[in-house]
Amino acid sequence: MNIQAYIESGIIESYVLGLADADESAELEMLCRQHPEIQAALTNFETQIEKQAFNNAIAPPPELKDRLMDMLEQDFKEQNDSKKIPPPIVEMNNIQNAGTRQSSFWRYFAAASVILLIGSAALNLYLYNNYNDTAARYEALLAERNNLQASNGVFQTRLNGLEESFRIIQNPQVLAVKLPGVNGHTENIAAVYWDSQTKDVYLMPTKMDKAPEGKQYQLWAIVDGKPVDAGMVEDCNGLCKMKNISKAQAFAITLEDKGGSPAPHLEALYVYGNVNG
Amino acid sequence: MQDSKKYTEAELVSLLKERQQPVFSYLYDNYSGALFSVINAIIPDKDTAGDVLQEVFVKIWKQSATYDATKGRLFTWMMNIARNASIDMLRSKNYQHNAQNRELTGNVYEQVGTTVTNIDQIGLRKLVHTLKSEQKVLVELSYFEGYTQDEISKMLNIPLGTVKTRLRAALLQLRELVKN
Repeated sequence: MNIQAYIESGIIESYVLGLADADESAELEMLCRQHPEIQAALTNFETQIEKQAFNNAIAPPPELKDRLMDMLEQDFKEQNDSKKIPPPIVEMNNIQNAGTRQSSFWRYFAAASVILLIGSAALNLYLYNNYNDTAARYEALLAERNNLQASNGVFQTRLNGLEESFRIIQNPQVLAVKLPGVNGHTENIAAVYWDSQTKDVYLMPTKMDKAPEGKQYQLWAIVDGKPVDAGMVEDCNGLCKMKNISKAQAFAITLEDKGGSPAPHLEALYVYGNVNG
Repeated sequence: MQDSKKYTEAELVSLLKERQQPVFSYLYDNYSGALFSVINAIIPDKDTAGDVLQEVFVKIWKQSATYDATKGRLFTWMMNIARNASIDMLRSKNYQHNAQNRELTGNVYEQVGTTVTNIDQIGLRKLVHTLKSEQKVLVELSYFEGYTQDEISKMLNIPLGTVKTRLRAALLQLRELVKN
């Protein structure tokens, strides 16, 4: 391979700046191991970008470092364990004899304890009931919130699909082809949106009979009088993206067995429309 | 700087994996300014850029074991973490919402008393702005806004192959600018 041409291809710069895709990166990493010149060119550009970033360094907000140090405190490893402070030794006072008043004091103390215990048990019971009630209500709220979130997600997906469809239809370079129903299927109608630049084909099954079990609609592009498969009509949100068609004079939809046919069954033709007409 | 000792890159990489506090302090003191300029070139708002820098250092610290020295220099690895985090921020709903609010109250760069920087004047972005416009727009969209080449091809209505070759040419031009 031409190493010099590879170095001058711009791939090294893409890689360093994080713009290379996975294949390009893997190739570069492999070539670096085989060719020291490529490795040198890589290190050279990395060093220059690094120097550039350092020359243009901007001081971050000063309080940030302390905030980070606090955040990561749990994560820092102890440098050594020998710093542990021994627990202090506390001398006990001599226990003095309290004399004869002691026994009556303990009697009152025991009675007070029993009363407190009963009071505390009652309070516990009351608080426990309250807690159960709140927990149940919290669970209910949580379930409700999850439901709302899920339906919000569904709506968002639908909205995104419709917005995307709307954007395609609005695009001035997209050609609209109406496909009215043919004899026997006049109540059906569909439209094809054909991007004249990218040649992407989108289908809007505006009003099509529901396909019977085991059957599926198939879109055909008519190219110089011959039908070309343009993809199966799936159940889509807004526009269905079909196969890319570079050239066509007309589009048609037939009802075929599920999975499609190599050639259309003309007796099962539903809608048909000429491009530019 | 608390520690005047300079580590070589290899020393720093092996110390990072020991996860001691002084190493983190050293890393921050040495690299925060350069990484902040990488972030600030994408996120003009200084406070938000500070939040991103914080997130970036936490990532660097927690993911240091995944750094592979055979794939590139330490700074390249950190710079890519910083760029990815900045673009994630740029794409976040919250940030876009705030950006819309800023637009409603007037031109971002002309507001008095805010800490919003003119990003065209920061670091690499300043150099990119001296490229010719057909190259500039590609580097802007891909590097600073994080669009894929496929997305750019659709946005600008240019074939994917052309996007690729023009972007590569722009990066080679940028390499020469970085050298000087």
